[in-house]
Amino acid sequence: MTRRLLAGAGIAVLGVFAATAGMSGQMKNTALPRTPDGHPDLTGTYDLAMLTPLERPAGMPAVMSDEEAAKLEKRAADQNRALNKDIDGNRAAPPKGGDGSVGPAGNVGGYNNFWLDRGSEYNTVDGQRRTSIVMDPADGRVPALTADARQRQASRLAQFRPTSDQTESSDPGLEPAGAYDDPERRPLGERCLLGFGSTSGPPILPNYFYNNLHQIVQTPTSVMILTEMVHDARVVRMNAKHLPSSIRFWLGDSIGYWEGDTLVVDTTNFTDKTRFRGATQDMHVVERFTRVDAKTLKYRFTIDDPKTWTTAWTGEYTWPATTERVFEYACHEGNYAMGNILRGARLREKDSTEKQ
Amino acid sequence: MRKLIVLAAGLMLAAVPVVAHHAFGGEFDPNKPVLLKGKMVKLEWVNPHAWLHVEIVKADGPQACQFTAGQKCEEWMVEGGTPNTLLRRGITKESLQAGTELVIDGYQARDHSLLRANGRNITYPDGRKLFLGSSGTGAPTDGADPTEPPKGRGRGGL
Amino acid sequence: MRRGVRDVIIAAVAATAGAYLATTALPIQGQAPAAYRAPRLSDGHPDLNGIWQALNEANFDLEAHMARSAMQLRPGPYGPVPAAPVLALGAVGSVPPGLGVVEGGEIPYLPDAAKKKKDNQEHWLERDPEIKCYLPGVPRATYMPQPFQLLQSTKAIFFAYQYAGATRDVLLKDPGPAPIDSWMGQSVGRWEGETLVVDVTGFNDSSWFDRAGNFHSDALHVVERYTRTAPDVLMYEATLEDKNVFSRPWKISMPLHRRVEKNAQLMDFKCVEFVEEMMYGQWRKKPLPRE
Repeated sequence: MTRRLLAGAGIAVLGVFAATAGMSGQMKNTALPRTPDGHPDLTGTYDLAMLTPLERPAGMPAVMSDEEAAKLEKRAADQNRALNKDIDGNRAAPPKGGDGSVGPAGNVGGYNNFWLDRGSEYNTVDGQRRTSIVMDPADGRVPALTADARQRQASRLAQFRPTSDQTESSDPGLEPAGAYDDPERRPLGERCLLGFGSTSGPPILPNYFYNNLHQIVQTPTSVMILTEMVHDARVVRMNAKHLPSSIRFWLGDSIGYWEGDTLVVDTTNFTDKTRFRGATQDMHVVERFTRVDAKTLKYRFTIDDPKTWTTAWTGEYTWPATTERVFEYACHEGNYAMGNILRGARLREKDSTEKQ
Repeated sequence: MRKLIVLAAGLMLAAVPVVAHHAFGGEFDPNKPVLLKGKMVKLEWVNPHAWLHVEIVKADGPQACQFTAGQKCEEWMVEGGTPNTLLRRGITKESLQAGTELVIDGYQARDHSLLRANGRNITYPDGRKLFLGSSGTGAPTDGADPTEPPKGRGRGGL
Repeated sequence: MRRGVRDVIIAAVAATAGAYLATTALPIQGQAPAAYRAPRLSDGHPDLNGIWQALNEANFDLEAHMARSAMQLRPGPYGPVPAAPVLALGAVGSVPPGLGVVEGGEIPYLPDAAKKKKDNQEHWLERDPEIKCYLPGVPRATYMPQPFQLLQSTKAIFFAYQYAGATRDVLLKDPGPAPIDSWMGQSVGRWEGETLVVDVTGFNDSSWFDRAGNFHSDALHVVERYTRTAPDVLMYEATLEDKNVFSRPWKISMPLHRRVEKNAQLMDFKCVEFVEEMMYGQWRKKPLPRE
């Protein structure tokens, strides 16, 4: 009887040892919410709006002090408040020839600031106020493109005709000639195929405009990551094998496994319609999700595409939980703009032909 | 101090995405500015951009006005931003009544056959931006009050 | 053994046998078979996780119908024939027969709405939102001829549909009325024993129920019930009401089948790309012929 008891105790001890050994040397944080199978529960809704950019501006250190961050955050808040100020109810129409606004506002002033939700804070990782998402290379910038990638970029740009049309070259809001020839030439976000700014990824990045919400639902066999724009649900198949190379998906094929308390997601099999900073369909992304505390996830990614970048590169930032909801983003169903853009271009061409 | 400002500006600009996310310049004509003073007929809560329908009183307008008795109107569509941002500020389809007076400046669509414009500025007649109070008077969180936590962000539980 | 005791024993055995027969799953008339009990999650609710798909003709036409030559017809010399735009599809464009999924057989339209349904059928090509790859709405998303994945933990329930990548988060706490209308509505879930009940409101009026012109207004209210009835079967019922369109609530029901292939997973069906030529092709700089 005693021998059996001792043997049982020994087995119990061995069991505990085996369990802790399987944690890859990490101390198990028992304060984290966990699923019944013992893994940290990543389920939740997260708002990735933040002021920390992807790449570090020249001359900035990797980490700011809290005071510096607060100064910059106040600047952003002041800017935001200024943009939301009342204006003259008896104002005139804006100037003919455009209002000089640049970028997406396209010389026509875009729309009001109240539609935007750019984020109000610099991101904190491991207690550090970060000045960039990219951490490797150490200068916080995406590595150089390969010669191959620069060649591909050049031939993509060559499909836009050099501007010879007088009307077009004098309109700073217009993209280069040829940009409006076909719907396929428009950005994926305008076509309502994928959200802009790699908001679905992978890698998942803040888009610095709005709708940066993501939702995770975790089960033992599948972890689903929902990106608000454009309602993309990426299902990570746990402990599975990648699909054959003939099968490719817009968001790639994601498989996942646990390394201690970290969910590792490995994604390959992108389509050749990938539009991530010039990458090819052979891009390989490894993401690591770690729950930091009840309200925060840490998201770290490494991107490898030897045909595009001279080295692999890594970024990280934290995902704060939000009590807000992801709302439906039915994009294609309300995409008046695509028709407006194409018809506008055809009318412009007709007008300029008739002028000649 | 000067260095910090320069660096700060660099950081701000860096936050703008490399790729223009929407070709407003391709959709609207900078040579056709418009000022629309009228009443809201309806708001289409669609993505990627909401569309506000407004009726403008016009002597030779094609239809009877719905919100100005005995007058003729023409109806314009004005493009805004994503409604989801507004929903998270507590705005609902009830928030804006049909018939509300609005002042809109912008530019007409390059497809001139359509009465469409971008909502460069959408305000009430007193100049307040749509859906916003004046700063500090019940405005949704715009970062103006440093003691006010950003709504839902980083402060929420699961 | 004394006779009295034997009688008691015989009676006891008979009673036991009768009790045994009454509790087995033998198809005795008037007796339902023992219900299937699904495996549980740690919170005690049935585990509905899986990749599921309807195996019926509901997306063609919810009501019982015979096969017909096309989804849009026009008068011919001997009865209806396929409309010109779908002629080239031949038998591939035809409608298979279905016994229908509507309890009671017919959808109870109000008189004006019945006329609109007929009108929808006659203008199917211009009006069916499926043709433009618009979001399918509820309950149509359930019975599109493509799989969906139901993800369920103790914290969340979520539907990911392969068709157009449509998604639905099932809120487990009622947030009150939906702030605006949407294609997929606002879903609030609760459990009733073995059944997941999903209450869906906040619809816009833009989706259809099938390819036969069956439609609704923005007053639509759908209550769905999901119950596992066998290891690989999820029974689906939906009660629909819409005071602007129907004279009373009505109900559909159908089994959903698990995709049991070892490698079953959702794939991309991002059909928005597929309809660009149809919707925007005429405005290309160099348009292709449209005929």
